[in-house]
Amino acid sequence: MLNIYYGKMPEAVFNTAVYFKNAYEDAWITDPVARQMILDIDKSVVLDSAVIDSPVLGKIPPVSLSGGVKTLILMKNERSKIFNASTCGDDCAKWILKLAETDDLTINLRHLMDFGEGAFDIRILNTDKIVHSMRELVPVAGLYV
Amino acid sequence: MRGTHRIIVQNKRIRYDFEIKRNITIIRGDSATGKTTLVDMIREHFENGSASAVDLICDKECAVLDGRTWAGQLSMMKDSIVFIDEGNEFVMSDDFAAAIQETDNYYVIVTREGVPSLPYSVEEIYGIRNSGKYGTLKRTYNELYHLYHAEKHHQPGKPEKVVVEDSNSGFQFFQGICERSGGITCVSSQGKSNIFSVVAKQPDEKTLVIADGAAFGSEMEKLMRLIKGYPNIALYLPESFEWLILKSGVVEGGGIEEILRDPGNDIESRNYFSWERYFTAKLIQNTQDSYLKYTKRQLNPVYLQERISGRILAAAEGISLC
Repeated sequence: MLNIYYGKMPEAVFNTAVYFKNAYEDAWITDPVARQMILDIDKSVVLDSAVIDSPVLGKIPPVSLSGGVKTLILMKNERSKIFNASTCGDDCAKWILKLAETDDLTINLRHLMDFGEGAFDIRILNTDKIVHSMRELVPVAGLYV
Repeated sequence: MRGTHRIIVQNKRIRYDFEIKRNITIIRGDSATGKTTLVDMIREHFENGSASAVDLICDKECAVLDGRTWAGQLSMMKDSIVFIDEGNEFVMSDDFAAAIQETDNYYVIVTREGVPSLPYSVEEIYGIRNSGKYGTLKRTYNELYHLYHAEKHHQPGKPEKVVVEDSNSGFQFFQGICERSGGITCVSSQGKSNIFSVVAKQPDEKTLVIADGAAFGSEMEKLMRLIKGYPNIALYLPESFEWLILKSGVVEGGGIEEILRDPGNDIESRNYFSWERYFTAKLIQNTQDSYLKYTKRQLNPVYLQERISGRILAAAEGISLC
């Protein structure tokens, strides 16, 4: 299940770009799910662990991926950490839900990410309430951001 | 600084072309739209000039503020457009809000978080969109687009409840109108940060929120997400209550009409942290020796006389309280 703590959370990693730069591993980039996320969000193709082909920026290293994709890759590979997912746009929301399908995933949000029109199971850690739609989520989570 | 400033920044692969209109601009939106790339290009040009291979055209210096030494960096920035990328937590601090308050810079801040300590306009929150290739070059052309428009969230018909951000003259005015109209409850949220909690308590009510658009930017995303699930909630966001009075024409002279056409040219950012403060000062100044004498704390009863209030409500396009 996806667990979200809304609002300021001192133990969460706030600057995910800096954390990624110093922590990522080659295998994280070539992993099939990471390749799909990079293609979907950044419209870029992983050529190998060190080179990604971006339609806008040309051949780039992993540290030049978008802030959203870098945070998604961190969420996938460092489950013991809590990351600031407000570095992710709404286009990352479906991937966050997908990453939480198999194992529990806990993230910190400092804004109201749009998880879409569909049904989901999200535990709002501030109140320990489980919500199933944006209509249910917003009136509760909005009090904390 | 005052007025609108156009910024063109480009390298061989990407070009940005946009205008900055007020002292605080927010950029947010989807991932991978080029927000960080924009700030990086500004930084590279600021550090290396033309040797960066980044071209930057603007009538003001463009700089980047980041890291733990932000306060020291800021003290050296004058009459500049200052960019701040996401990941800089100091943006959320009261120290930052206090430090930029009396500077003559404009600030462009990349963040998805609302920043309640900064009074930014709902009109100055942008996303970046790709507009295709630029000219004959294989260069991607990016521009800013408005995420919200203050005037597009009105609701037809009378509301059951009106929630007013203001607790002074603005509230007293709308409370008086609602009493006269009958059947409409009018409450003050005692500030913009409480509006969401007041409205979210009973989101199924047919509610009209009235707030100062000039400083309501930090609350906009939350309210818009709420409205998406509860479309019976509507927003009316004039620049401010004082702007509405000035716009209504009840106060004549003083070049008001001309100023309202393009207020940015008259508003010095060092003197007015947000446009609402300017409109308040303008209204107080232009009415001080007349029967329309305006004070922020206590509404002059003349504004509730039907002839005057009718003109003010007529200027509030898109809402119906009578």
